[in-house]
Amino acid sequence: MVSLAAGLPLLERPTRVTPADPDLELAERFRAGDRAAFDLIVRRHQKGMWRLVRRYVKRDADAADVTQLAFVRAFRGLGAFRGTATVRSWLYRIAINCALSWLRDHRREQPTELAEDALLADNPAPAQISASDDRAWLRKAIAQLPPKQKLVLELRVFDDLSFKEVAELAECSENTAKVNFHYAVKRLRDILGADHAP
Amino acid sequence: MRRDPTEHDRAALGSLDTAYVDGVAELSPDERRAIEARLAADPAVRAEHAAVRRLLARMRAVPPEGSEPDWSALERSIREAVGDELPRPWWRRWTWMAPLATAVAAAVVLLVVWGRPAPSPVRRGLPVLERPAPAAELTDDDSIALWLDGAEVDVDPIAAEALVEPADSDDDVTDVGLLPATDLAWVDNLDDEALDRAEHWLAGKKKG
Repeated sequence: MVSLAAGLPLLERPTRVTPADPDLELAERFRAGDRAAFDLIVRRHQKGMWRLVRRYVKRDADAADVTQLAFVRAFRGLGAFRGTATVRSWLYRIAINCALSWLRDHRREQPTELAEDALLADNPAPAQISASDDRAWLRKAIAQLPPKQKLVLELRVFDDLSFKEVAELAECSENTAKVNFHYAVKRLRDILGADHAP
Repeated sequence: MRRDPTEHDRAALGSLDTAYVDGVAELSPDERRAIEARLAADPAVRAEHAAVRRLLARMRAVPPEGSEPDWSALERSIREAVGDELPRPWWRRWTWMAPLATAVAAAVVLLVVWGRPAPSPVRRGLPVLERPAPAAELTDDDSIALWLDGAEVDVDPIAAEALVEPADSDDDVTDVGLLPATDLAWVDNLDDEALDRAEHWLAGKKKG
C-alpha cells in the first residue's frame, strides 16, 4: 500500500523541526568571550526580528529602532541564556516585549493604517488590483482574529517558526499552539467566506 | 459501543489535521499514521486538507509589511549601539553591591544595638555574695551559703548585707559597708594572729 502522505506536496517543504538549536553554538561562543559570535546572530536574525516588530510598529524607521533596541537587550542578556528555548524564540520574545513596550510609550503617535484597498483607486492595473485586494482581505481577516490565535498564526505562517517555538513565544503548550493554529485557520476561512475563498 | 466525538475530540482531531497540512514532520509517527488512514478513507478529509493548504499558501505569498530597511545599515547601527565590550555577568558588576553592602551594614548595626543584653545593675562587692530574692523577706533565722577557702560557711544574710556596700551608693561615699568591697588590700595586711582569729571564728561558725 502506498502512503498518501508520500504524495502530498507539503511534505516536500523543508522541515522546521531541528534536532538541535543551530544558534546555540553561537550563544556558547559569545558566553566564552567571542564578541563576533553576536554579530553572526544579528546577521542571521535581524530580518526576522524586523518583520516581526514591523507587524506591531507601523513605521519602518520605528521598527528599525525597536529591532536595534531588542538586539541591545539580547546582547546584555545573552550571557544568562541557558538554552531552555531556542535562541531564535528567545530573541523574538525580546523583540515582542520591546515592540509592546514601544507601543505603550508611543500610543498616540501610531499612524492609522492606510487600507490597502483604498490605494487601489490610484492604481488601476488589473493584476495589481487583484493581488492587493487579496492581500488586503487577508490582512483584515487576520486582524479580526482573537489575539492568541492571531499571534500563533502569524508566528507560524509569517515567521516560519516550529510549533515548539510558537508555543514558547505564545507561552502555552505545543498542543495548545496547534489547537490555536487550527482555530485561527478555521476562523479565517469563515471570515473570508465563499466570495474570497481561494 | 462507539461514542460520538465531543467538541474536545473534534478540536484535537482538527488541530492534528491542520498541523499535518502545515508540517507533517512535527507530528508523532502515531499521529501521522492516524491522519493518513483518515485521508485514505475519507474524500471529505482530503478536500478539507487541500483547502487549508491553499489558504496557507496564499497567506505565505503575502509580502511582509512595510519597506524593508538597508540590512547592512541596520547591522552596523546595532553593532554601534551594543559596542565592542562584552557585557559583564551580573555577579561581576559592582552596581548591585552598593545597596547590598548598605543593607548588610544596617543589619549588623541593628543586631549590635538590639542584640546586646540589657545592662545588669552595677554590683560591687564580693561576687559570691548574691543578694537574696527581693520577694523573700529576710529574717534572723535565714542563712546563705558562703564559700571561703574551699569550705561552705552559712552566713547570716542580714550580717552579709552589712558587709557589702549598697549597690546604689555609688555617689554616697559616707554610706559604706563594714568591709570595703572595692579595696581588699587590707586583707594582705592582716598579721598571722588576726588570720588565726578569723579562722578560729570561721571554724566556730561551721560547728555552730
